[in-house]
Amino acid sequence: MKRRDFFKIVTTSGAAAAVAGCQQSAERILPLVVPNEQIVPGVAAWFSTVCRECPAGCGVIARNREGRVVKLEGNPDHPVNRGALCLRGQAALQGAYHPDRFAGPQQRQGGALRAVSWDEALKLVAGKIGELRQAGRSKAVALVTQLENGSLAVLMDRWTQALGTRPRVSLEPFGYEAIRAANRIVFNRDAIPHYAFEEAEVILSLGADFIETWLSNVSYARAFKRMHGFREGRAGTFIHVEPRQSLTAANADEWVRNAPGTEGLLALAILRAMIDEGLADRRFSEAVAGIDVKKVAEESGVSAETIKHIATLFGRARPGLAVGGGVAVTGTNATPTLVAINLLNAATGAPGRTIRFGPDSAYGKVTPYGEVAQLVQAMAKGEIDVLLVGPRTNPAFTLPGGLKFADAARKVGLVVSFANQPDETTALAHLVLPDTHWLETWGDYAPREGVIGLMQPTMSPVRDALPMGDVLLRAARAVLGTEEGKGPLPWASFEQYLKTAWEPLLRGQLDGWQAALQQGGVWRETPPAPVTAKIGAVQASRPKLDGDPGGLVLLAYPSFRFYDGRAAGAAWLQEAPDTMTQAVWEAWVEIARETATKLGIAQGDVVRVSSPHGAIELPAYVSASLHPSAVAIPIGHRYAPYHARYVAGSPTPMNPVALLPAGADPASGAAAYLGVRVTLTKTGTRRPLAILQATHDQDDRELAQHVDLSTAREQALRGKPKEHEFLSMYPPQHYPGYRWGMTIDVDQCVGCQACVVACQAENNVPVVGKAQAAYGRQQHWLRIERWAEGRPERPLNVFLPMLCQHCEVAPCEPVCPVFAAYRTEEGLNGQVYNRCVGTRYCGNNCPYHVRRFNWYDQEFPAPLDVQLNPDVTVRQLGVMEKCTMCIQRIVAGKDRARDEKRSVRDGDILTACQQTCPTQAITFGNLKDDQSEVSKLAHSPRAYHVLEELGTRPSVTYLKKVTRGHA
Amino acid sequence: MRAKAGVGALGLALLAILVFLAVSSWSRQPAAARPSVQPITFPHNVHVQTYKIDCQYCHADARRSEYAGLPSVARCMGCHKITAADKPEIKKLAGYAARSEPIPWMRIYKVPEFTYFPHKAHLRAGLSCQTCHGPVETMTTVGARTGPRLANDLLNLVGLRPAPPPVTMGWCIECHRRENAARGMHAPLDCVTCHH
Repeated sequence: MKRRDFFKIVTTSGAAAAVAGCQQSAERILPLVVPNEQIVPGVAAWFSTVCRECPAGCGVIARNREGRVVKLEGNPDHPVNRGALCLRGQAALQGAYHPDRFAGPQQRQGGALRAVSWDEALKLVAGKIGELRQAGRSKAVALVTQLENGSLAVLMDRWTQALGTRPRVSLEPFGYEAIRAANRIVFNRDAIPHYAFEEAEVILSLGADFIETWLSNVSYARAFKRMHGFREGRAGTFIHVEPRQSLTAANADEWVRNAPGTEGLLALAILRAMIDEGLADRRFSEAVAGIDVKKVAEESGVSAETIKHIATLFGRARPGLAVGGGVAVTGTNATPTLVAINLLNAATGAPGRTIRFGPDSAYGKVTPYGEVAQLVQAMAKGEIDVLLVGPRTNPAFTLPGGLKFADAARKVGLVVSFANQPDETTALAHLVLPDTHWLETWGDYAPREGVIGLMQPTMSPVRDALPMGDVLLRAARAVLGTEEGKGPLPWASFEQYLKTAWEPLLRGQLDGWQAALQQGGVWRETPPAPVTAKIGAVQASRPKLDGDPGGLVLLAYPSFRFYDGRAAGAAWLQEAPDTMTQAVWEAWVEIARETATKLGIAQGDVVRVSSPHGAIELPAYVSASLHPSAVAIPIGHRYAPYHARYVAGSPTPMNPVALLPAGADPASGAAAYLGVRVTLTKTGTRRPLAILQATHDQDDRELAQHVDLSTAREQALRGKPKEHEFLSMYPPQHYPGYRWGMTIDVDQCVGCQACVVACQAENNVPVVGKAQAAYGRQQHWLRIERWAEGRPERPLNVFLPMLCQHCEVAPCEPVCPVFAAYRTEEGLNGQVYNRCVGTRYCGNNCPYHVRRFNWYDQEFPAPLDVQLNPDVTVRQLGVMEKCTMCIQRIVAGKDRARDEKRSVRDGDILTACQQTCPTQAITFGNLKDDQSEVSKLAHSPRAYHVLEELGTRPSVTYLKKVTRGHA
Repeated sequence: MRAKAGVGALGLALLAILVFLAVSSWSRQPAAARPSVQPITFPHNVHVQTYKIDCQYCHADARRSEYAGLPSVARCMGCHKITAADKPEIKKLAGYAARSEPIPWMRIYKVPEFTYFPHKAHLRAGLSCQTCHGPVETMTTVGARTGPRLANDLLNLVGLRPAPPPVTMGWCIECHRRENAARGMHAPLDCVTCHH
């Protein structure tokens, strides 16, 4: 008997036994009782709405299958994000399907939250407010919500007026108040303008992390790459000043490491140098009268040559754009710092061109932190009896530890939270009235003047929930004793109010409401308003820091994965690595190598970080690039209860905000995130981080390649000299129909991880948890590698999205004993799950390490399983999987084309990663069509294949990063 | 040589055990073939032959979706509010409608979950429903015997090539090949078209 026959017998008889052994289960199929006209089972319906994961307000279209949303995409028509979404937007679905979502209203009884009915809950709230009202103490009612500026905001303000409560507080932990204050001082506008990154020749960022969380990260990352990307033909320059090598810093042509808190001084020194070199008007001399470049150089740790070099670059830019005010650099000197930055902008002619007042950002309506602090103080004094905390607002987590919010909240008679999942604030609440998720609700939000996004329910609520607007209306009517249709708040529901409010906006338009719903809102161009700069002396100094004067400055910076922590419930985000450290799940404290050596701390050692306001214990991440006087901890890391299945042990606090003082920048009322020095002590225990990339050193493998600007320009003009071609023993493949291929422009990639999460959402990629991830068993089909070249303390970073290369001569295929990995006629490497027997030979043989094995039957805890894409198989234990280039989208694209009796056109099919990419680094299409975008890019002089010398002939072509005289 | 014989013996022993297991439970009929299991005895023959109702009047999603779809209770009631309203089976239907409850039909046809089968593409190619589902118009109650069968597996094993049973992969592929050769169709033969 031959070996083959043995396998045949065993597998066949095994299959027969499997068929015979299990009884055919009786499966029911249920028809609809009354058909829904908008839903055809099996066909996706799309609904447009607005992403409310942060105040940027990107447009979203939600893909609804059989009544449940399974995927979110950016709204291509929306002026803010133009079809792209960041990773938090992609992961918002996991908030809607959060396994810990409250099943309905809850009341605290005997220390624990127990279910109550809506009527009971509402009676309790209305009763308490009514009591206070009768006692003439309406001002003891406080309403705190996230930033709202649409109909809900108006309704809530009417509500506070009708009931005579305290004015509403719009709490945004990252409020950028200092930018407003500085604009008031210099440009006489209390607003945050629209920054036209794409119009700038040189961008100078003094701590503005605009690729991560700053104001509107999708919009600005996109605009930045239009100015900076070689592909767009405009290779502008970007200089970033920050004590820590953030993701934004890693994207800079020059990252300048300064001492914490010296951004203002540096801005003035740069202005001084510009004046000295005749690159700025003499009028500005007044502002920089006392500034000595050498002294600033000494204080900031940035050499005088560097300051002059920046001044020359920035001074010659017509126009340039200087941005600042990132959360991590906001200290008690934030306003003077931003005034100095404004002067730089005025000197380069930015106002009206790269800085546009008029299309002002929604952030202008945030209640300054100083006023929030006053409310907390009032609570602590017992002046507040009812505190209503809106959804997605978690003051117990986001307010500085020095403010002692939890203690103050305990003095409040009735704390009501509208959160729909448990958090630190619901732990203090007496009553939880779960709000609908933003995917389930009506609403509107204007991210900037002239752009009003309209929200509609994209599905019915996953759990019993009521829109906050409805609850407020019902409670108010109960307090005031009025009926529906009468009184100051006559609307039956928030939906009705919204539609009434939109009527004047759409007057005279045929089907205006339908059109607005379909488009996702209404928008018009808002012309920039002219502003003049007021030049005056600036008192830029270093920020006041609390704590041990001999300690290290704490850099608490917003995590681009979790924002202020509101997104942290999504397991996808916990497992999408932080691009710079490649760490997943747990938070870490980034310690400079010098400090670590001095204190004898190794990576993974648990370190106690203490300030006068608190202490947290985190594993250490030793960094070669961090400023030696600082330690850095990301803000936003927290676990949801259901994460217990992914992280062993009981969770410990990971929140650096708990270490911060209550103080604020006096001029603007901004919270002083750069406000404390901390001390480090070794705890003696170890908790190694789960880091997905073992090394950032390419070891001369030339995986991520780059070319300098002048060579790139020359090659773009004259073509690339012919290189040695690799000989192959394999005949070229014949493609009868399409040949699918992809290009990835490494120069466009900013490493934001949006594609990673989009892929996970689209392709039912499971989450494995910290221990498995640390073991290298993460299931991502697509990852972003960070490769660092040059000096480790100031490297050149190249981000390389790595996925199945769909090789023409694929090493994975010939080693598969069962023909599960095979080459399709359209240029893909197919992977047939039902054929795969799990030998893992293919994974071993893949030089790109992109194949993933299912070591377990992965679970999707309910109701997260409802999110699964019905067009993609959920893989089982023992099966190998990998990127399919979104084969389900290719099949759907071909199906659409056949319906229209044509062939697939360029741009018909977008892969999930390509669709969400803010900088359009990824292009997919038919390589056989010479006119397709992907073909053109694949023949660019910058094109190369990763590990080309192996002769795999990949279908994925990379375009080299273009460097601009990097040090 | 001895090793080879050992492998063969082991294989045969395994085969014998598994064949025994298979045959011992082979007597069962697919649940769906028993007429009484449907909540309402729905006669396809009456609807199609007597009343000349097109398949897609009720299975209206077939031409535009992956699924053929079942008629909503409301659609059934569209006729049956009046037609045959006094019959006991129709009263059952009216009961579901009155309670706003879906009818818990027993599923007959199901492809494995790792298989993507779109009805739409097959209708677009001009197939009639009967090509895959058999003469439904003559059935009082639809039943089907589908899926892999032991006899076929064993025949395959000894090198014979029996006709694959309906709604199995071999059957699909044979039809795709036949149609491509005979009518010049472009029915895909690529694994990942259906398995992704």
